[in-house]
Amino acid sequence: MNYKENKQVLLALFITMMMMVTTIFTYGQTTINPDTVCASAIGEQYFVTNTPTSTYQWTVTGGGTLSTGQGSNAITVDWGAVSGLYPNAVEVIESNAAGCPGAPILLDVYVLDLSGNPIGPFCPGDPTTPLVGNPLGGTWSGTGVVANAFQPSSAGIGNYVLTYSMAGCNTTINVVVNSGPVTGPIQHY
Amino acid sequence: MKQLLTILLVVFSFTSQSQCVSNQSHVISPLGIYSPGQVVTVWYTLGTFTQVNINWIIAFQINLGAGWTNLTPTNTPGNIGGSQGYWLWDIQNTYPSGLNFGPGWRFINTNPFGNPNWGTSATGPFIISFQATVGPTCTPDNLDISVNVFGDCLTGGWSNGACCTDPPYNIYTGVVLVPPVTTSNINHY
Repeated sequence: MNYKENKQVLLALFITMMMMVTTIFTYGQTTINPDTVCASAIGEQYFVTNTPTSTYQWTVTGGGTLSTGQGSNAITVDWGAVSGLYPNAVEVIESNAAGCPGAPILLDVYVLDLSGNPIGPFCPGDPTTPLVGNPLGGTWSGTGVVANAFQPSSAGIGNYVLTYSMAGCNTTINVVVNSGPVTGPIQHY
Repeated sequence: MKQLLTILLVVFSFTSQSQCVSNQSHVISPLGIYSPGQVVTVWYTLGTFTQVNINWIIAFQINLGAGWTNLTPTNTPGNIGGSQGYWLWDIQNTYPSGLNFGPGWRFINTNPFGNPNWGTSATGPFIISFQATVGPTCTPDNLDISVNVFGDCLTGGWSNGACCTDPPYNIYTGVVLVPPVTTSNINHY
């Protein structure tokens, strides 16, 4: 293959890659069922692939409120504060230009309300204390946190905000490490 | 004349279930399958109407499935060498025999020496044409098309032994093609 032929092949490859990228960005995003949202989340966006001549009837349950977009292919939802798995919490029925409805498309939603068990207050020399979040399975972060446990000795004296994270949701707890008493030297009367 | 022939036929008639209709053909345009909103034109030709037992042709009934709407006549049958009268496009008519006719063309015999419930003595060919539109629907409604040809014995205007018992002539058999509404999965940004 000469230079000119190589150039043609490279051009074809480039066009193919661009088409693939475009396709992925347009249609390729797929939400795993059930979807997970944070409790009290505002303005969560849901969509289906748009057919310009169609209309879309959405139904939201499970403590969610449809905020904007009814009739279109994309909506926003404000979720409630009650944690739990809500089957078929988001439903959409597409109707074509003739008014004929398609099959309902459903999405289960797990509303995730994180909490962390309070710990402390600590003294600088206290032993390492495990951090417990609910539900289990998340990750703790912050000053003095090592492997989902709090080490007062490495944190030092102070007030700390520790964060518990899971599936894009966060919650925090405050931890205090107090200073120890300051004792003077031993005197001999 | 017709009454004179009655006497002869009482003697010579041996046909108990006779067919008067022969050499039928049709053209349908466009060819199926049909979707809502499509307009279809049908041409139907009856080559010969044999006057068995002096049955005279009196009506062409168009039988449409429930999926059709807006039936419109576009070519009235001729009356070459036939009786005095005319073909009337009619939606419904109850004949003396109780036959519930319609829609279609029926012959109105205006011969002052005849009987208004007689057909025409013409034997063909007869050419009719009509248009029909596939109605708006979301279900695969029936789109069958057929034509019945009636003699005046069946309609009760003429009584002279066995009537013609011609089956309906089938022009089209099918259902509405309803394009499926396909919706993607629900995605969450």
